[in-house]
Amino acid sequence: MLERQNYLPGLVLRKSAMKNDSEKRKALIIGLDGVPYSLLNAYLEQGVMPRLRKILDQGLGLHPMNASIPDVSSVSWTSFATGVNPGEHGIYGFVDLNPRDYSLYFPNSRDIHAPPFWEILGKTDQRTSTLGDAYRKKVQAPCRSIIFNLPHTYPAVPIHGILVSGFVAIDLKKAVFPDSAYSYLKSFNYQIDVEAETIRKDKKQFLNELFECFEMRKKAIDHFFLHEPWDLFLACITETDRLHHFFFDAAMDRAHPFHEEFIEFYGALDDWLNMMFEEFMKMSRGKGLFMVLSDHGFAPIKKEVYINPFLRKAGFLELNSEGQFFQKLGRGTRAFNLDPCRIYVNYEEVYGRGTVRKEEGPALLKEIREALNTLRGEGNEEVIDSIYLREEIYRGPRMDQAPDMVCLPKPGYDLKGGIDRKEIFGQNIFTGMHTRHDAFCILPGDYGWTEKPSIDQLASPVLQYFTR
Amino acid sequence: MDHLTRLENKSIYIIREAYYQFKDIAMLWSVGKDSTTLLWLCRKAFFGRIPFPIIHIDTGYKYPEMYQFRDEIAKTWKLNLLIGRNEEKLKQGMGPDQGSKLDCCTELKTNALKQLMKAHRLKAILLGIRRDEHGIRAKERYFSPRDALFQWDYENQPAELWDQYQSTVEEEEHFRIHPILHYTEFDVWDYVKRERLPIVPLYFSKEGKRFRSLGCVPCCAPIDSNARTIDEIVEEIRESKTSERSGRAQDKENIYTMQKLRALGYM
Repeated sequence: MLERQNYLPGLVLRKSAMKNDSEKRKALIIGLDGVPYSLLNAYLEQGVMPRLRKILDQGLGLHPMNASIPDVSSVSWTSFATGVNPGEHGIYGFVDLNPRDYSLYFPNSRDIHAPPFWEILGKTDQRTSTLGDAYRKKVQAPCRSIIFNLPHTYPAVPIHGILVSGFVAIDLKKAVFPDSAYSYLKSFNYQIDVEAETIRKDKKQFLNELFECFEMRKKAIDHFFLHEPWDLFLACITETDRLHHFFFDAAMDRAHPFHEEFIEFYGALDDWLNMMFEEFMKMSRGKGLFMVLSDHGFAPIKKEVYINPFLRKAGFLELNSEGQFFQKLGRGTRAFNLDPCRIYVNYEEVYGRGTVRKEEGPALLKEIREALNTLRGEGNEEVIDSIYLREEIYRGPRMDQAPDMVCLPKPGYDLKGGIDRKEIFGQNIFTGMHTRHDAFCILPGDYGWTEKPSIDQLASPVLQYFTR
Repeated sequence: MDHLTRLENKSIYIIREAYYQFKDIAMLWSVGKDSTTLLWLCRKAFFGRIPFPIIHIDTGYKYPEMYQFRDEIAKTWKLNLLIGRNEEKLKQGMGPDQGSKLDCCTELKTNALKQLMKAHRLKAILLGIRRDEHGIRAKERYFSPRDALFQWDYENQPAELWDQYQSTVEEEEHFRIHPILHYTEFDVWDYVKRERLPIVPLYFSKEGKRFRSLGCVPCCAPIDSNARTIDEIVEEIRESKTSERSGRAQDKENIYTMQKLRALGYM
């Protein structure tokens, strides 16, 4: 009898769906790109976000959280989505190099080597990971997801549900699955991201466009949220990160010419979060999983620090006059840096013009570490906060693609590659920089964290919720 | 039958099939080695007299040697040459420094071609792209439909199984036909050598540098090379490990990605 049931999977599925209908699980996850824990706390205290305060008072916890290392969106969001370490998912930044000729390579969704949680829950995962293996068998009926504007999901691959890729998505058509969702977004000229170049021409206009982009984003999210069926809904707001990059100095400074606009943005965000929360609680009869998180924090910039010129001046790197970007690395290069501070040894066995033998690596890295620790900024203060060797922070089958060493700065010193820069310190149009230690998460209940969680630990609560 | 003859036969079959299906057809000639090879194959397919026009998209930024070569060949091979220029944008000063490189390509290449195809009511074009050129081209078909917006929906294209080419066209679409899709860079040079094809002299080494791939002046750079003859080029390519387009500015999507990242302070 049991065996016969196995031959009628459709029937069994429908039966279980009917049974679950009254207690159907739903999760709403909202990603706020680059929103710091400390700022959120300050705004909650100052009454800038009264509605979020109310939501939190209903039993949700606001926690500080660590971003990934490095603390850039592509790595952090991928760590969240896959729930594994970069050593396993294989994403370490927005830009990598082709080892053969040092040309730039832009990793995208195809380079992620672990399934995101919506693929595990949707039973559409074609990749394996430690987390995927742990949960795959526990998923009963496939769960339908809408994943909206999450960074580093471009190009969009078919999922059980709808996927609209976020930054860096170029061609909207390739950023959307399925086609019907593309037609909808195209119908009102949905924009993937605000044009950041505008800021160089006109700050006010940039802010207007940022608010417009936020409106458009909310419109699209509302449409899918209200009119499409889903079990899991994940939507990211990019505009917070853009606002912070260019106006973070306005966040707490009442005298800043754009302080009001900054506060106005957070007010609008507060409204929208509340609307989403209330609607979601209605839909899920107060039982759904509601989660909000950021992928890194932000801090005001004092100086940008360019690591490649530093390595050149310290004798670790040599540049030829010809070639683009890293193709002009000279024969005498022993190490180079990719954004933000990922140091790679120019190993003979890895790179086309490599010069360093494997056994020379540890001594070279020690030498670079000592040199980096001598870096001093304003008032002779330290620039480098911590330095990690690959083996200390990464684990998994993709470790061979990891940087040999990664540095984290003291707040205020924004580390960059700066291959085209001559000087070590500089200033740019940006007033805010990413931080690792100051991300946040809001979620219900106790997850048994004995110390501050890091973003890759946040996929588990989602999987647990749907499989418990 | 040797390798090159097999490649040649397949191309000629595709060219004739395309002409049979679409009378409103033309060939796009960039003056580079690949499309010059295709031009030669078209001549062979129709015994020296090509029955359709040859389009050259002139961005105004090509090398003088390329214009000279174009005009000489057009004369000797008696080509019906159509030149496409986006005059309006050129007058407005469009170039790689005005706007992005992507905008420049879109206006001076894509839109110039669009205008020309519309004016001559063309339904299909033959192109000299090869499957090994770069990633996205690996998904190309011999017969590849484009919609009215010139966009290629690579996930929604007819299967080409067992060499049964899909060559019917919807209204408002046009077809792109790629008769040398199956050649590698090495095959092209080997074929140029065998057929003793004329090529733009920029491909040959001068003072230790030569062009491996040709485009517009602002977006092309020569590579280090001492290959002064076709034989030396063939040997060089046989040995070569770097990618053919490494002297070319990044492909469109990469350029755009880079711009977006730079605007936010990366790189």
